[in-house]
Amino acid sequence: MKYHSFSPARIWTLAAATVTQLVRMKIMAFLVVFCVIVVAAGFAFPVMNPEQQLKLLKDVSFGALQIFSVVIAIVSTALLLPRDLEDRTLYTILSKPVPRYEYLLGKLIGVLLLIGAGLVLMDIAFSAVLWLRQSLVLAQSIAALKQEGVATPEALAQLNEFVGKQGLTWNIHLGVLAIFLKASVIAALSLMISCFASSTLFTVVISLLVTIIGHGQGLIREYFFSEGMNQIMKKLGSALLAIITPDLGVFDVLDNVINGELVSAFSAGVMVGTAAMYVTGYLLVSHLLFVEKEL
Amino acid sequence: MKRQIQALTVFLLLGAIKLPIEEAATHHLRGAKLLTKPISVSLRESLGQASFAASLGGLRSLVASITYLRAYREWENINWAKVDSLFQITTRLQPTYFNYWDEASWHMAFNAASSYLYNQDINPMLRGKLYEEHVQRGIDILKEGLLFLPDEPRLWNSLAEIYARRVHDPKKAAECYLEVFRISHNDRYSRFAGYQFAQASDRESWVKGYELLKRAYDKEQRPPSVIDELKNLEDRLNTPPQQRIPDARPKMEINHGEVGPTQ
Repeated sequence: MKYHSFSPARIWTLAAATVTQLVRMKIMAFLVVFCVIVVAAGFAFPVMNPEQQLKLLKDVSFGALQIFSVVIAIVSTALLLPRDLEDRTLYTILSKPVPRYEYLLGKLIGVLLLIGAGLVLMDIAFSAVLWLRQSLVLAQSIAALKQEGVATPEALAQLNEFVGKQGLTWNIHLGVLAIFLKASVIAALSLMISCFASSTLFTVVISLLVTIIGHGQGLIREYFFSEGMNQIMKKLGSALLAIITPDLGVFDVLDNVINGELVSAFSAGVMVGTAAMYVTGYLLVSHLLFVEKEL
Repeated sequence: MKRQIQALTVFLLLGAIKLPIEEAATHHLRGAKLLTKPISVSLRESLGQASFAASLGGLRSLVASITYLRAYREWENINWAKVDSLFQITTRLQPTYFNYWDEASWHMAFNAASSYLYNQDINPMLRGKLYEEHVQRGIDILKEGLLFLPDEPRLWNSLAEIYARRVHDPKKAAECYLEVFRISHNDRYSRFAGYQFAQASDRESWVKGYELLKRAYDKEQRPPSVIDELKNLEDRLNTPPQQRIPDARPKMEINHGEVGPTQ
């Protein structure tokens, strides 16, 4: 059989093994916790207005989705290399004709597959609860309008519009895509850090710090580009932070998606392109760090 | 060592290349109303470290919902100052969600203002002053919200209601209803503007009110209130008999159990 220096089949095998490895770590138990949170949020606070009830359900669910994806992206990626070293699996793999970049790529794809699958499952659960809640809220509001004798076609249309905007739309799933893209960037970043880190804890802490700073990039950039600033050190510091951390704020479209703003195909493309740039860049750096690393 | 230097070089190059790309992506997404401006550092003290970090970490909407729920709780405890400050944080966190502005203003201009006005424990002079201050606070909140959402008809409608029902300034109320009409193209709000202009005390407003209500009348929108107000305005404007509408003045009493005048 002819040897290829780049083999998608080998990468897929590594990715599948990584998914199995992570599933065995019981990472997906978070799904159960998520479902409990969504159902609780879905039926809590019945005294609020219909629009607000749906918004709260979306806020809580998207918050849980974000926390799940960020935590899994950081922790699972940080665990992979040390675990493979500890189990000696890494030596078994690399003693075969598997290039190191394929190993890294396989590991990252495995983590992304796990996060993607988890997000899809949680999205399905969340959509079902949202649809159920939306139908209940609409039925209750129509009944209340009829009871008050003000169920005019105008009022009903307005109610449908309000509830529809806060209810289940295709746009919601694009919000989940934004969460996945952010998690991809964080996973690639953690992989890069784990290539030179001395311990798992170091990788987790640094990745978490970079993630927090990355969310405040907008503030940092505004500070960096502000005209009134004349302290060179401060300006250099903010420039350095802006250069070394990714701008994760680019993927924070959720606030406005929750409010009913539509994500166009072009905007989704902008987010995908930005995420691809980070993942490619971080993978390249990871490869350079890992290719000659003494194991 | 050579590889590590190469890695550092690529990392720094990536950092330099990504800056303008991030700026362009942010600019596009803000233009598409998908991203809001970063929250002000001054909010940190009001929010607390944990909430500030959470809102920076992409959980801004969730933190806003939590502060909203806290404000709701303070409303139940009738702590108006706290309601106001918590809504202030909520609206700062999510300035493009109209409902927060609307509800914050409703609490101040209606709930808090009435609560102070009817509080027998407070000196009557002070009660009136507190009432006015809170109504004004409600107006200020809506005006601030309209800076972020200038084309939100529900905010204009709420402002109109405060001017009409709390400040009793029909001209300003009419102007706000006209804004709602401009945005929503719903004729109902043009009629509301007409009713408000009719309540004003100057002739110029009556003329405007008559024009708006006559336009509704010509479009066959002729509820008793339109006909009655047109009749009143014709009297006040001394309209010649041949230019007056032919309808008789409707019976405007409301019988027990009815929601409006009979036609």
